[in-house]
Amino acid sequence: MKKILSLVLALGLCLAVSASAADKIVVGTSADYPPYEFTDASGNFVGFDMDLVRAIGEKMGKEIKIVDMGFDTLIAALQKEKIDVVIAAMQATEERAKKVDFSTVYRTIADALLIKPGSGLKLKSVYDSAAYKVGSQTGTIQEKWIQDNLIKTGKLPKENYFSYERVDNAAMDLKAGRIDVLHIQSDPATELMKKNKLEIALISKEAIAGGQSLAVTKGNKELLNAINKAIEEIKADGTMDKLTKKYNLL
Amino acid sequence: MEFLTSAADMMKFLIPGLGVTISVTAIALAIGCVFGAAMAVLRVYGGPVARTIALVYSILIRAVPVIVIIFILFFVISEVIDLTPFMSGAFALGFASGAYQTEIFRGAILSIPSGQMRAARGIGMSRFQAIRCIILPQAFRVAIPSLINEISLVLKDSSLVFVIGVPELLRRAQYASASTMEPLLAFGCAALFYMAMTLTLSKALEAVEKKFAVNF
Repeated sequence: MKKILSLVLALGLCLAVSASAADKIVVGTSADYPPYEFTDASGNFVGFDMDLVRAIGEKMGKEIKIVDMGFDTLIAALQKEKIDVVIAAMQATEERAKKVDFSTVYRTIADALLIKPGSGLKLKSVYDSAAYKVGSQTGTIQEKWIQDNLIKTGKLPKENYFSYERVDNAAMDLKAGRIDVLHIQSDPATELMKKNKLEIALISKEAIAGGQSLAVTKGNKELLNAINKAIEEIKADGTMDKLTKKYNLL
Repeated sequence: MEFLTSAADMMKFLIPGLGVTISVTAIALAIGCVFGAAMAVLRVYGGPVARTIALVYSILIRAVPVIVIIFILFFVISEVIDLTPFMSGAFALGFASGAYQTEIFRGAILSIPSGQMRAARGIGMSRFQAIRCIILPQAFRVAIPSLINEISLVLKDSSLVFVIGVPELLRRAQYASASTMEPLLAFGCAALFYMAMTLTLSKALEAVEKKFAVNF
């Protein structure tokens, strides 16, 4: 009984988050989004964003501690200073910028329209997807674009749009034929295409508002400036290109 | 063969989460049991004030989704008391389970004939002594079948703590699904683990139930 109790306590201590230690930066992410952030079999955080934030920490001379949370919890955790930084393939949208401060863009991105091979769909622009059953991920830039430009304008009937919590589930539905077009970010799309034997019909920048940024608690200028400076250095010394190649990003 | 290697990989993803799920559930159930038993006694034997407090606790907590309780503990209460995400999650689940266990224990206490209390008082026990030594032991025996049910519910609710950054079994399955792109295998394996845990726990409690059963 004592053994179990001490094990439980030790576990609790291991998972302690303290965002206060000065030489340590606590970074929040949502580790279910390859190739940006995911885990290997032993539970280590890997991916483009993870390597990048470690490189940023190195430039700043600070230790990086990564914690995993639900994507929706990240901004609240920043506001309450449970964590210092968020890196989660997050784009600096207007709504989010009201609640947290964003760094300079570390990666500009594109959209991809995924289709099932042999379906014969011809998509010349993202607007062409309006004739089919479309899916995208809940709460993303792509979903907002579809809502604003396809559904509200009446091009796409509401019942032909499907919102998915996770992209891998959406890809399965595309494969099964429940949707015709999957509108997501291009980097995860490449990986999904390979695993599920799908096809990328179109790469577009139409729906992209900005790029991906790191986020810090509103008003934390000191940390934000240090991060921006580190991003500049990483871009200048070729580390960024190396990471892009490592993860086969477009 | 390929299936076997990917299943073995899946185990590597999932097994560390098993310990977290079990410890969160164990802490939550322990807290819930203490809270539940105390509140149930208050609801049945307490004065008007104590009875109202217990009633409000049980109604309010049961009305709020568990995930909201977790958020409140992690984002609001932990401003005052320094709680780790793990502890916030476990306490929140325990607090929630306590409300359900209050009702389980209340029902159990009410099922004990009132003559037991009168007899205990008759041989000179105080009210507290009578509750502790006569009523609660008998009530606990009655409560066991419903407690088995509650345990399996808490075990599955424990998957909610991932939102505040506690990587338990189901979150590990999500990791595995995201990085191997095999959601069916990942969640299937997680389901097997949950099933094994629920079965073990209910078998254990059934054994307890048998041991304390009254045979006429």
